[in-house]
Amino acid sequence: MHKLTFLTLGLLLLGAPALAAKTVGANLKSVGIVPGKPGGTYTLPLGDNPSTFNYYGAIDNNTYTVLNNVLESLVEYNLATYKLEPGLAESWTTSKDGKVWTFKLRKDVKWHDGQPFNADDVVFTYNNIILNPGVRANQIPNLTFGGQPVKVEKVDNSTVRMTLNQAAGAFLQPLRTFIFPQHVFAKVDPLKNPENFMKMWSTDKASEVVGTGPFKFGGYVTGQKVTLVKNPLYYKVDSKGTKLPYLDRLEYLIVRDPQAQVSQFVAGNLDEVNINGAQFPDLKQKEVAGAPFKIQRSKALFGSPPHWSFNFDVKDPALAKVFRDLRFRQAMQSAVNRPRVINDIYNTIAMLPGHGVSPISEFYVNTTRALGKYDLKAAAAKLDAMGLKDTDKDGFRNLPGGKNLEFDVTYGTDSTIYPPLITILQNDLKSIGVKINPKGILVANLLSTGMSSSFESMILAFGDQPDPQLRREIWQPGQALHYWHLSTRDKDGKPVFSAMQPWEKRIYDIFDQGATVTDPIKRKALYGEWQALFSKNLPVIMIAKADNLAAVSNKVGNFVYNLGPIPTYNTHTFIYMK
Amino acid sequence: MLTYALRRLLGILPTMLVISAVCFLVIQLQPGSFIDQYLEDPRMSRETVARITEQLGLNQPAWMQYLRWIEGIFLRGDFGFSFTNSRPVTSMIWDSLGWTVFLAVITMLVSWLVAIPLGVYTALNRYGWPATIMNFIGYFSLATPDYLVAMLLSALVLKLGWTNVNGLFSPQFIDAPWSGPKVLDLLNHLWIPVIVLGLEGVASIMRQMRASMLDVMNQDFVRTARSKGLASKVVLWRHTFRNAVNPLISIAGLSLPNLINASIIGSIVLNLPTIGPLLYSSLINKDQYLAMTLLMLSALLLLIGNLLADLALAWADPRVRFE
Repeated sequence: MHKLTFLTLGLLLLGAPALAAKTVGANLKSVGIVPGKPGGTYTLPLGDNPSTFNYYGAIDNNTYTVLNNVLESLVEYNLATYKLEPGLAESWTTSKDGKVWTFKLRKDVKWHDGQPFNADDVVFTYNNIILNPGVRANQIPNLTFGGQPVKVEKVDNSTVRMTLNQAAGAFLQPLRTFIFPQHVFAKVDPLKNPENFMKMWSTDKASEVVGTGPFKFGGYVTGQKVTLVKNPLYYKVDSKGTKLPYLDRLEYLIVRDPQAQVSQFVAGNLDEVNINGAQFPDLKQKEVAGAPFKIQRSKALFGSPPHWSFNFDVKDPALAKVFRDLRFRQAMQSAVNRPRVINDIYNTIAMLPGHGVSPISEFYVNTTRALGKYDLKAAAAKLDAMGLKDTDKDGFRNLPGGKNLEFDVTYGTDSTIYPPLITILQNDLKSIGVKINPKGILVANLLSTGMSSSFESMILAFGDQPDPQLRREIWQPGQALHYWHLSTRDKDGKPVFSAMQPWEKRIYDIFDQGATVTDPIKRKALYGEWQALFSKNLPVIMIAKADNLAAVSNKVGNFVYNLGPIPTYNTHTFIYMK
Repeated sequence: MLTYALRRLLGILPTMLVISAVCFLVIQLQPGSFIDQYLEDPRMSRETVARITEQLGLNQPAWMQYLRWIEGIFLRGDFGFSFTNSRPVTSMIWDSLGWTVFLAVITMLVSWLVAIPLGVYTALNRYGWPATIMNFIGYFSLATPDYLVAMLLSALVLKLGWTNVNGLFSPQFIDAPWSGPKVLDLLNHLWIPVIVLGLEGVASIMRQMRASMLDVMNQDFVRTARSKGLASKVVLWRHTFRNAVNPLISIAGLSLPNLINASIIGSIVLNLPTIGPLLYSSLINKDQYLAMTLLMLSALLLLIGNLLADLALAWADPRVRFE
């Protein structure tokens, strides 16, 4: 024991002057992070082959999951608060008008191949890759402010200046995107030859991938495994001075079928697996019976709470009039039996949803009271008040033209949530004289069906994000993904204010202001007002928010629920094997 | 015989061209294109989508895309690029081909070795209880989908507390160099896919063999042979069996394309690194050149299998040769 302490101390003393290591983890006690011990292999599942190892070469979650351990960005998430902290940038300053940001870069960071990291890497990555319209997974929309992409310049070897056309409150969020090594990519000219850039770091060239992250590439066997190994040059240490990451190896087994993933976990070949409410009871039973793993449940910041939308632009004018009437949407809201949905469909692993914002987000305003109670009588009364009565005595209410109050609900059949949800809605609504016709399609086709406006009503899920600004395309009327009211956007992508109801116009203004206001208190107030408007006017009806569930082997220490492939939310730096 | 084989070989080319055109048409008729997923993504600007469309050549009319693809194959042996993977299609197929062929060959060998004796046995002992049981198992396994068998076997393995639940290796052996323990680990995993992928084959070949044996057993030449006083073993193996096995040779030829198509769902459930899931995902993602190349490979194997079966049949059965 003494020997070990001595050795560690000695190593520290030797290493300290050369590497001004960054101490992390002391502020993470609230999520259970403790000093761990080095060594060991941690094995995780991956849902499919990554399509490439070039982060900007594809939009693919498997690629992102792996690279999150290999690449880094200027800023990164704090695991406990989800607030942004310095990453490759040591510190930054903002000009008074909020338009000029100056980033000081860390000087002790090396690429996996030993080359030093510097301002050229940042400037090259932004100007030639991230802001390059020919690159497939570029980030131009996220980094465009006041109609202009951000201007990125080198000040000196360890200073970068970014200039915005307009102040932006959420500017740090998109800076979570990863930095690439200039010395590797300069040989292809991505601005001139984006095709050649895309071929770099494809899956047959895994050994060429170079990052600054805690892990570097070890190997890739198609269809079977991605191996990452510890980066011995990594600049972070824990609160006791032990070099991070603790793990020697981080392995992703490629297992496509979710049930096969659980089997592999139970057999002991995986140390962790993310599960859903449907898989929960069986595994919980095993845990209680003494299996060597624990089920961890946590509130989710990200994730996609399902909602119910009504197409304001539906072809049938009588139906469109009903859908645009707030009383109708309020009636439908009262007819959603949320307690039953949470109990029966989510196996209790869910909570009441927020309105566009996760209940654990710093922007969240408690709007649960606006969700109301499950009350079919109240729902029926609202419909009566609208004059929607059963005039032909066939059991269903009639629209003014005489047609039945009947519409399609498009939903995804290959989901564990949507089909039972539809059954519950259908039965409840039938009892108050509303006929819904379930129309099942593949989950993958839901959004495109919504965007083509060829639906009457739809159950769909959109992700919550740490900053509402990041989901502006969905919630701001007139934006590209505001699919239930597409007439608020013209062919050139400009907003059509005449098509908006007053509360929609106000939401439009809130998002426009929220984009430029930098004062955090003012931003919070603006987004609070939006959530209140959302919960009162119900552009869509929120259903429920699932919690995160994972099963973790007892051998694993410092497990923090992995939020999925969210850039720079890297929990594996702290994982250790007991 | 040689001219016949040559003629057939030459015939493959135009057939493949027709098949490729039909496949391309079918893929084009699928709603949507590869680009759609980008159109939906809020991170993508219209400009980017337009540039990617141009890069991939998807802005050209379909017939032009097709001709370019065919031209690439003939002039440069280039089967195109995978849209999702930014990699040449052939290198992607190459990655999974080894395991696919290995599994297919092993499964085929095992199922034939099991099925043919069982078929002969059930034909010879039609009314005994062992034959009845075997027939029942045969029907049952024909009727059971392979993914269900895969799930049942996985559950059984878990129940017994074993770790070889799916995949071909334990995690630590996947990227280890070949060694004795690695081979043992492979064998320990291999029996599950062999049962799952082979079960249906065993059942159908066994039933074919049985029917074919019963057919031949009642024919005149067998009765003649027997009445001439030949030993029953000679009658069985030299006359009955040799004639009964002919139809199975055609089946063998037709099973070549199974190398690719067999058990896509079974492969996903068992987590096997074969081409099946690749074909599935390329069709789902509308990764057109990858899907096309895999479909063409499958068609080519079918044609070659047919040819080989015909040649083998001609070799085995003089009657076919003279016709």
